Amino acid sequence: MIITKRQLGGLFILLGVGVAVGLFAIDWLGAGQFQGIGPAQRLALLLAGGVVLLGLSLLPLGNRPA
Amino acid sequence: MPVAQAAPRTAALLPRLLIGLALAAFMGYLVVYVIYAVQLLRFPFDYDQGEGFELMDTILFSHGEWPYRDNDAYPFYSSNYPPLFHVVTVPLVWLFGPHYWTGRLVSFLGTLLTAAAIGYAVGRGQPRGRDHDPGRARGRWWLAALSGLAFLASNYVYHVGPLFRQHMFMVMFETLAVVALAVVIEREESDGRRRTLGLLGVMLLLLAAGYTKQLAYATVIAVFLFLFLRGPWRAVRWAVPFALVTGLLFLGINVATHGQWMLNTITANLNPFVPGQAEGLFRQWFGLHIVLVTAAALYAIYQLYATRLSIYAIWFVVATVNSVTAGKWGAGESYFATAIAAACILSGLAFDHWLSWSAGRRWPTPRMAAWAAVLLPSLIALLYLWQARQVFHMPTHTPALAAVARALGQPDAVMIAPQTSCSLPRPPEAIPYVDAVGATLLGRPPTAADTRAGQQIAALIAQGDTAAFSEDAGFNLYLGRDVVTNPTQLLNLYTNNAVDLTEMLAMLDAQAFDTVVLRAQFYPSPVLDVIGQRYETTDLVQMNGFVYCIMRPR
Repeated sequence: MIITKRQLGGLFILLGVGVAVGLFAIDWLGAGQFQGIGPAQRLALLLAGGVVLLGLSLLPLGNRPA
Repeated sequence: MPVAQAAPRTAALLPRLLIGLALAAFMGYLVVYVIYAVQLLRFPFDYDQGEGFELMDTILFSHGEWPYRDNDAYPFYSSNYPPLFHVVTVPLVWLFGPHYWTGRLVSFLGTLLTAAAIGYAVGRGQPRGRDHDPGRARGRWWLAALSGLAFLASNYVYHVGPLFRQHMFMVMFETLAVVALAVVIEREESDGRRRTLGLLGVMLLLLAAGYTKQLAYATVIAVFLFLFLRGPWRAVRWAVPFALVTGLLFLGINVATHGQWMLNTITANLNPFVPGQAEGLFRQWFGLHIVLVTAAALYAIYQLYATRLSIYAIWFVVATVNSVTAGKWGAGESYFATAIAAACILSGLAFDHWLSWSAGRRWPTPRMAAWAAVLLPSLIALLYLWQARQVFHMPTHTPALAAVARALGQPDAVMIAPQTSCSLPRPPEAIPYVDAVGATLLGRPPTAADTRAGQQIAALIAQGDTAAFSEDAGFNLYLGRDVVTNPTQLLNLYTNNAVDLTEMLAMLDAQAFDTVVLRAQFYPSPVLDVIGQRYETTDLVQMNGFVYCIMRPR
């Protein structure tokens, strides 16, 4: 069994969404230094969005090995 | 003879000429690297502030003692690095005594081995397994040579390669592990046979990298990500015992050192992150290695979408992301060395792939094919020449080297003010070393005047009876006295509220040390406060571009 491009894309999407959820969880838990979204969180959210987009771009490549 | 054939035949000299020039440029950097290394091997004091403490660790290991110690009690010393580099250096200390050249030589040779491994990886060319362009030719020797030499020509590798620091030894193990993994998997995929022993060797190299320096975790992540893509269950089957062995070793050392291992290698490394430092270093790293990094990044993207991700592509991405840790207080440019090694391999393979694609392509006319065979290697050689220009660095302390620098359109000296922290600023001085990094105190070969300055500081300490309370270990080591304190370690522990300074402050308050030597005032603020109250500066000595303050009891 090997990982395909589509599966790798799915993993990237999960990773990006997970990071984004985690970043909001920091605020919900009151661990952040800033009220609302801080500058580091904004940058991390941007990166998480990029990872999700990267994952989406891999989905059409189907079952080719990653 | 038809023009269509005559032109390429004459022009065929062009790529040879340009490749020759590129090789000459990078061989020049190798010569410069050897000059710097030889000068450092002769220098008997700290060139970089942490070197003496790594020598101290080696001395402790040579006596069969752990360097992970209680910082609360005299001599307030502990190491914050894993043991392998120091253990490897121990036989040299047994044979020749506790000299700085021992660890510098080990680190320097490690960088040469890393460069050889990079060259080997590029020289093997693209994977020839069933899934990777089967039947294509082997790699090109000149690309292999340029890739390996480009690693040694990196300003960062040059600066720290011949120092008594464990970082480049870790990069060596990382590179060997990754190249070995590429070979093992390629062979497995070419004939379908599993090579468990080969993979075991990769795991041992990874373990060696991690027990040389903690930062190797990034390469461990890259290797297991790659194994996961090629076979998730196999990756898990190897990850579990690897984690177990790593963890058991960790626990064993922690028990043997009564918890000091955990405190000094983990807690003391939880330093504050400085975003500006990380950003500045990333910009500098990219600018210095623009050709290597751009080619590597483009080839990683190509593999992601068009073929399969190689271990080199994954390693390059993970190592580059992990380089953000260079923004930690106490970290620096050397944290990019792993990403540079990966970029050297991946860019070399990218150019090799490009050349192979061109050679195998059905061009519309023979004339186009002939011109492609001329222009493409010429362009690649030009790119390497551009890369060589970006990383320019050269000592200019001899008339010949100064003349070469001038001939290349570079200055033969740079004005840099000596670094002061405990004394008044001094005017800039002409330093016979030019570096694309800018004003840097790393890279300039130490001089006879620096050696005399070190001996002068040691002589001032020798006027007293006790070991000096010193930010550099070298002076006490030179006199055969105790090495007292590891200042950055104390500062890290103090920042993490993990050290009790009571005994140290009491000794300083009682003026128990005849001499205090400061260079950068790395000590925690309560220590600096009591030094200021109980000691006064009597002498200022400049060594390696730093002004040392020699202090005596008031």
